Amino acid sequence: MSLFYSTLKYLVVTLWSMFVIAPFLWALTTSFKDFQSVTSGATYIPWVDFEPTLDGWRSLFKSPAQGGIAIVEPFFNSVMVTAAGSGISIILGTLAAYSLSRFTFRVGPIRNGDITFFFISQRIMPPVVLSIPFFIMLGKLGLLDTLFGLILVYVVLLMPIAVWIMVDFFNKVPVEIDETALIDGCNPYQAFFKVVLPNSVPGIIVAGMFCMIFGWTDFFFAFILTFTEVQLLPVAIVALNSSITPWWSLSAAALVSVAPLVVVAFIVERHLSKGNLSGALK
Amino acid sequence: MSLIASNLSIKHEKSFHLNDVSFSMSKGEIYTIIGRTLAGKTTLLKTIAGLISPDSGGLTFDGHDFGGIPVWKREIAMVYQQFINYPHLTVYQNVAFPLKQRGTQKTEIHRRVIAALSQVGLEGFGDRKIQALSGGQQQRVALARSLVKEAKIVLLDEPLVNLDYKLREQLREEFRGIFDTKASEDSILIYSSTDPVEAMQLGGQILVMDEGRVIQQASAKEIYENPISTKVSQITNDPAMNLFNGRIEDGCIVLSPEIKFDLPSHFNGLPQGDFTFGLRAAAISLDDNGFPFSVELSEISGSETFLHVRHEGLKIVGLLNLVQNFSVGAKVSIRFDTKHLYAFAPDGHLKSSPYGGLK
Amino acid sequence: MGRSINKGKRSMNFKHKYMFLLPGLLVLLAILVFPIGFTVRLSLSSWDSFYPSLDFIGFENYIRLFTDDSRFWEAFGRLSLLSLTTVFLQYIIGFSLALLVWKEIRFQRLFRVLFLIPMMTTPVIMTVVWRTVFHESLGPVNDFFSLFGMQPLWLSSEILSKFTVILVEVWQWTPFMFLLLLAGLLSLPKEPYLAASIDGAGPVRTFIYVTFPLMAPISIGAIIIRLIEASKIMDTVYVLTSGGPGTSTETSSFYIFIKGLREFQFGYSAALSITYLIIMIISFTVIAKILVKLMVRGE
Repeated sequence: MSLFYSTLKYLVVTLWSMFVIAPFLWALTTSFKDFQSVTSGATYIPWVDFEPTLDGWRSLFKSPAQGGIAIVEPFFNSVMVTAAGSGISIILGTLAAYSLSRFTFRVGPIRNGDITFFFISQRIMPPVVLSIPFFIMLGKLGLLDTLFGLILVYVVLLMPIAVWIMVDFFNKVPVEIDETALIDGCNPYQAFFKVVLPNSVPGIIVAGMFCMIFGWTDFFFAFILTFTEVQLLPVAIVALNSSITPWWSLSAAALVSVAPLVVVAFIVERHLSKGNLSGALK
Repeated sequence: MSLIASNLSIKHEKSFHLNDVSFSMSKGEIYTIIGRTLAGKTTLLKTIAGLISPDSGGLTFDGHDFGGIPVWKREIAMVYQQFINYPHLTVYQNVAFPLKQRGTQKTEIHRRVIAALSQVGLEGFGDRKIQALSGGQQQRVALARSLVKEAKIVLLDEPLVNLDYKLREQLREEFRGIFDTKASEDSILIYSSTDPVEAMQLGGQILVMDEGRVIQQASAKEIYENPISTKVSQITNDPAMNLFNGRIEDGCIVLSPEIKFDLPSHFNGLPQGDFTFGLRAAAISLDDNGFPFSVELSEISGSETFLHVRHEGLKIVGLLNLVQNFSVGAKVSIRFDTKHLYAFAPDGHLKSSPYGGLK
Repeated sequence: MGRSINKGKRSMNFKHKYMFLLPGLLVLLAILVFPIGFTVRLSLSSWDSFYPSLDFIGFENYIRLFTDDSRFWEAFGRLSLLSLTTVFLQYIIGFSLALLVWKEIRFQRLFRVLFLIPMMTTPVIMTVVWRTVFHESLGPVNDFFSLFGMQPLWLSSEILSKFTVILVEVWQWTPFMFLLLLAGLLSLPKEPYLAASIDGAGPVRTFIYVTFPLMAPISIGAIIIRLIEASKIMDTVYVLTSGGPGTSTETSSFYIFIKGLREFQFGYSAALSITYLIIMIISFTVIAKILVKLMVRGE
């Protein structure tokens, strides 16, 4: 590897890294600003360009009435909904994926591939399209503005992901292992739970990661389907995006919302290196 | 106690994976299913196991119709050609699995697992993880697991084919020993292979399969001496039996204008006409009074030499009991050992064999 | 494609298979059937805030869509432009980054984790931050540009607003592409590379003749998946520009959103939704087939 290539390599990587970090750095400094520092033009370094305060951070715990974003409750709501939605999606999705990988279905002209496609095609629908009917449906069921209602909707959102990842994963586990389990006296359920599942833990972790990512980062459904009783984190934050935006609170809240998934990023990277993510392509 | 198959057929799109297969197997015997790849061996084994249901035809075992009994209730064991073990369990747990599943007592499980492990030569391996084992060891674990169940039907689908040569030889020797135990007097052992040598070595009955059909079922000796068709002779001989066309005329066998010899005595009942003759490579030898052939290829194998020779359109392979390199194009003189000549009808059926077999 | 070991006949055909499939399938259907069915029904009505009733007007909405609504089709055009551009950029950048952190490099783990982070963030939230970054009078970007005497209108100029949206999308979603491609690279067999190095191929040639062809199926999959996600682009537009200025960053989803939840023309927006869906499903099937042919022929 010549010096030229090497330098180029590090240059590109560093440039992109800076691009990635930029907004976070900005949010970080901004979170320590107050009204003055923000409106008098762009400022960067604390103590040099402006006087830092902890107002932004403190406001995370004050309610809107007191001029803050009470971030604690929405944070936990997001955690709940994401966890529950992911959990249910993975359970149902893994079971369905197993059947699609192992068994043959034929209902008229519809076969396995079509069913899998049906699951995966749910991702094509923009939230907008589904939001109005969901709005009406949850309304009729009295589930608007509830955690449960939102979880139901998230299951629709996330199950396709679980199915997509797990079908591909199961396809890579030799079916002879299932057969051996059957021959050793297991019925199909036992074969699945005792043999296939323990071997699929990496796949489930990956599916879980992706479900959590897409669940935590949803905005639209939470936006449309909840109002006051239940507020999710993204909604709470965007609600501040009005004409007099308290940039400092916003920045602080943004950083808080990002934190949990940084952990996920580490986990994903670890599995990546172990080669567990190969595949998943139709 | 027996396994009887009647007219098993499995069709998939336009081809038959199993085509009207019937056989009868009794306990205490070893049966080898031999055939080329895609002949239907694995499909047959899986059907017996219950993993595949036949489109038509049936299986009975001990008088009970197998059709209604699902895989997990049949008392079978199966060893695959890929080394299949439960990756997340240790060796001990792997072998204990079927017994645990059955609800056997812990002490009994322990006794049987240890016995099975020592039978396959893996004493002390109990705590190892499967991934840490070599291919041969993994296959032994699979074998141990199949033994521990004392199943009534034991299915082995080319179990040695993915092992290296030395290991294969070694395991083959150990094999008969492993299965010659008391328990196996009660079971039916079904072994599939593409290797004729392996089939012959195992002894027992042989079922020759081709394109989903069983084309001959007989003892190893019978299959060797009297293959009922050219197809069978091709499948069950390694190196392949030489097959060449010729005529019987006026008490002579005529292979070409220059190559004629007297009818061997066992051909006496045959009419004149066209035939396909068969001769094993070992029955070809070098002899100064033989027919002129030119060498196309010579390969030394161990202490023998394969010699590919040709005379106009006639190509023959001989297995010579010497080690010698022949140059391409060299002229040699070939003798046919007519006492070991087979005659097949143009449609492939056996007409006369040196061992007096079927007509 | 996705199948590796279990080619050919699937040999297991037990009654139990339904128990595995049905819970998930039924839940999905149950939650989906109503919304989709309802949307179709809605599209055949003229429900809006003035006449909130489920009447039946046949295909009027659709006719209006096709003959009288250039805005919808413009939105479609913009969507295609935006999503194709961003996915293309993400592919190039993502692939390059993946290649760079694939092999030996210092701080490899750090870079890999870092490059993954943007996709882990909530798009809306980060977009809010970007909004402050690109704020035309108080943001750091224009602070920088004011050194040159310029104050580009990142969010309020027709052309630049598209640029800003693309930039934010690229920041947000390149990691996803990066992840898929890196996973693919890590799963490639070693033999072709040994052969290439024996043949004396340099890094560029190795890439063109070994890496790229081997990655073809994964590239296709990644591009399609990204395209599907990109076509739904909504959060960014909503926060950054609200579709503006005017309609210059208005995409199909956004337009449907406006018609439905701003103007409350439920019936009409339902028709838009259904039409959009059908077009999308057809497009993706076609795109998938084309990409496959392209890549296969390239081998």
